Amino acid sequence: MASTNTQWGMVIDVDKCIGCQGCVVACQSENNIPINTEDLFNQRRAIEWIRVERYWEGEFPDVKARFIPILCQHCNDAPCEPVCPVFATYHNNEGMNVQVYNRCIGTRFCANNCPYHVRFFNFWEPEWPETLTNQLNPDVTVRSRGIMEKCTFCIQRIRRTSREAARDGEELSDDSRELNPACVNACPTDTLFFGDLNDPDSKVAKLAKEEMSDDGRGYHLMPQYGTSPNVIYLKKVDESTKDSNGSHE
Amino acid sequence: MSLTRRQFLTLMGGSATAVAAAACGVPERELLVQSPIEMPEDMVTGLDNWYATIDRQNRAPLGVVVRVMEGRAKKVEGNVDYPVNRGKHNAVAEAGLQGLYHPDRIGSPLIRTGQRGEGKWEQLSWTDAVSRVAERLGELSGEETVFITNPVSAHTGLVVNRFAEALGAKHMSYEPLERTVLKASMKQVFDQEAMPDFDIENAAYILSFGADFLNTWESPVRYARGYGHFRQGENRSRGKLVHFDSRFSMTGANADEWVYVKPGYEGEVALAIANVMISAGLPDSPALHRITGQGSNSLESFTPQAVGSRAGVDPEKIVRIARDFLEHPPGLAIGGGSAGAHSNGLFNLNAIYALNYLSGSVDQLGGITFNPSPPISDLPTAPDATSFSDFRDLAGRMSGGQVKALLVRNADPFYGLPENTGITRASFNVPLIVSFSNRFDDTTMLADIILPENHYLEDWGTDIPDPGPGYQTIGFQQPVVRPFFESRGPHLGTKNFGDVLMTLAQVLEKDLGLDADNFKGLMENDARRLRELDRGSVRAANDKLFWNTILQRGGWWDTNASGDIHDPRSGQYSFPTAAQAPSTGGSGEFHLMPFETTGLTDGRGADLPWLQATPDPITTATWQTWVEINLKKAEEMGINEGDVVKVTSEQGSIEALAYPHPGISPDVVAIPVGQGHKGGGRYSKDRGANVLSILSPVTESETGALAWAATRVNLRRTGEWIRLPKFENTAPDLAEDGHRRIIPLTSG
Repeated sequence: MASTNTQWGMVIDVDKCIGCQGCVVACQSENNIPINTEDLFNQRRAIEWIRVERYWEGEFPDVKARFIPILCQHCNDAPCEPVCPVFATYHNNEGMNVQVYNRCIGTRFCANNCPYHVRFFNFWEPEWPETLTNQLNPDVTVRSRGIMEKCTFCIQRIRRTSREAARDGEELSDDSRELNPACVNACPTDTLFFGDLNDPDSKVAKLAKEEMSDDGRGYHLMPQYGTSPNVIYLKKVDESTKDSNGSHE
Repeated sequence: MSLTRRQFLTLMGGSATAVAAAACGVPERELLVQSPIEMPEDMVTGLDNWYATIDRQNRAPLGVVVRVMEGRAKKVEGNVDYPVNRGKHNAVAEAGLQGLYHPDRIGSPLIRTGQRGEGKWEQLSWTDAVSRVAERLGELSGEETVFITNPVSAHTGLVVNRFAEALGAKHMSYEPLERTVLKASMKQVFDQEAMPDFDIENAAYILSFGADFLNTWESPVRYARGYGHFRQGENRSRGKLVHFDSRFSMTGANADEWVYVKPGYEGEVALAIANVMISAGLPDSPALHRITGQGSNSLESFTPQAVGSRAGVDPEKIVRIARDFLEHPPGLAIGGGSAGAHSNGLFNLNAIYALNYLSGSVDQLGGITFNPSPPISDLPTAPDATSFSDFRDLAGRMSGGQVKALLVRNADPFYGLPENTGITRASFNVPLIVSFSNRFDDTTMLADIILPENHYLEDWGTDIPDPGPGYQTIGFQQPVVRPFFESRGPHLGTKNFGDVLMTLAQVLEKDLGLDADNFKGLMENDARRLRELDRGSVRAANDKLFWNTILQRGGWWDTNASGDIHDPRSGQYSFPTAAQAPSTGGSGEFHLMPFETTGLTDGRGADLPWLQATPDPITTATWQTWVEINLKKAEEMGINEGDVVKVTSEQGSIEALAYPHPGISPDVVAIPVGQGHKGGGRYSKDRGANVLSILSPVTESETGALAWAATRVNLRRTGEWIRLPKFENTAPDLAEDGHRRIIPLTSG
């Protein structure tokens, strides 16, 4: 598979996100992310390829908190790509922004240039107590010290599923749970959708078409930077602010 | 041909442009910057298998599938077939893997060699350990033996019950934030023993009181799955959620409207809503008849005005919400959590659940459906929780020397019971404490002999979900990997808890009256009985095929076997005529609201690093104990984030890091439950503070449950400051546009 016509993308319906962190831990488990210790949080170096941000609106008693999951937007015009001196970060022919760990020399230019702050640097060699290494996913490289890392859309799952589909002579289906990144499968409220944006029958393509229209809820994060992301957000619906100016652009 | 320098440069410039133009199209091969060798992410080693089993890290077990490669469990995901969670799971279920491979797991029976609690242990063989325990138990009369477990159902429950009966021992089930009041309310309002199912998916309007049902309350994954449909499901309009709570919880954050209620007044607000609904004119029905006491209970004292002033809620809001609720059927009312954790907890919950009769959503789509009894009659469902008062009595009996042996399994009462019960001190008067835990929790640290059970991913078991999905369901749990400590040989390592009890009974020459001599055998026998029913999700030509299929699918269920149609006249509850004011312990400035966090829940997740590092949704704080305080109030008191604050109740004090935020009432402070363990291994030991330890011994007036939300405290700055480990600000705020204007995340 992996016809060059594929364009992997995600749709995130913020109206469903409850902030439960299910996606965050699923990602850590799938992708061998080092344990975020207390020190790492204090140094602002905790690694979460997908994170849930919380925003306050108002204050007691009329207070609201909003949750929004943020991950690599897999931009088509990714600001992180041209600044990498060693082509460690590049755009592959399936629409994904890819990080090649064994090329990375740790300049951190890409993280500086990413407006979404979704690139994370390994300041130290990751460490696990020996028994916990039994859990590590053999499909995913453990990144060593000095390497940049970020969301891969769980490329190992796409590769494995594609290979197995090719072997068994089956079509890759958009409904296949094996294809989905770990976060998508974990999400209890079905906030996240994953699929091929170029396949008109896929759920994400349909949502993108419907919701990116004028009266849809779709938007891109920080469109002013012209990054052309492959992640589409659907706005939260708030009955109480229906009449107010709720522009997001 | 000769070229001038100028001609040459012109030519080169042109071709460079041509190259650039070609690059715009990104031809698929030429510009694919990819090394010819296989990329690391393309390498696949070995084959993976996914096995269905039951997750027991959550209080409400989920059906999961676990990815196993080369004999090691790698990943947990939801089981799409399993009725409770239908393919979904949560952070807690995921982290079960770290319990399996925890570096501080107990891998063999241990006997204490030093003083109690000193932490000196010696390994001994299972035969030796079991015979020592049996010898001691054999010398005791039944009343001198107490058996504390987590609430256990199905086959484990069966073995525990039979074992306790055979010994004549007292069996108590323990959970820090007990469900006694909730269960009592289900009995009084709906005449039900089991928790019903809430059809959030099809509800149009949800009123919830105190229950953080999207985060930690009862069956959060099931409810969250319903919530996704409730918000943006196909073929339905967007549902509305109003959450009444004394704390701004995750459910409060997701509600369309969060309404602050003074702690303990949730029931009165529900009655005021009922009052408005009845005044609006409800069709006469047997349910209405019963609930209003044949129309005689007029709810006169619960006018929105009167209740509003007592509960701190705008009366107009009560009227508006009540009408809204009535006008948008099906309307579902849910109550629990802190609403039931006051001295008047049962009064509150009864009033809340009775609203479901007024909205006509009992036994309806989008409302409440009741769970049937299990398909195999002698399998117990989750037992009635033992109330706090009983545990306080137990502590008294322990310190009086009347308890000679304490057996503890998957429960940590020495951690969860407030200091004032004196249970930890009393334990020194108990000559024998046996723990079945595979981790050094606070109770196990004070044990004399440890008989470690397998981790659930290495073990057999069954589960009758409570709350169930509205029809008969039995989850089948199978080992997905061989026991981690198997290499230590048959005399060491860990064992199935049921098997250990059965062996103990055998040594004690007690007949448990079970139809198999090992735990798996019990499961197999009942699988045979299930097959004989010849209905439900799995049917097979022979027993072997049936057994394999239920293991493969993670259980057996029958969607047609739903609960009986409910007779609305059968409950005993009717509206009260007088209010029941909550009483509090102490007279501090602030009302203390303890709450469960996403990761640690009631403390059971504290030993797992992923859960410690899971940011709390509201504060994004991790790894520590913090105290949530109103932003303005904190300013007044000169408290900043990270200030170490001494929180003092009449029972004692703890220290926590201040986290001022705008979402909490100025007269309330909130502290997460779950930290402050003395044990549990390297990730939880001596970390943070245990808010449960300073709770006042206020009990719910009818059930004797601990009123854990009824303590008042004072706050004092200690002058120390510690950085609060939180995820917030790891990345700068994103919701600003290029002109530093905040971008609203909501649509109009």
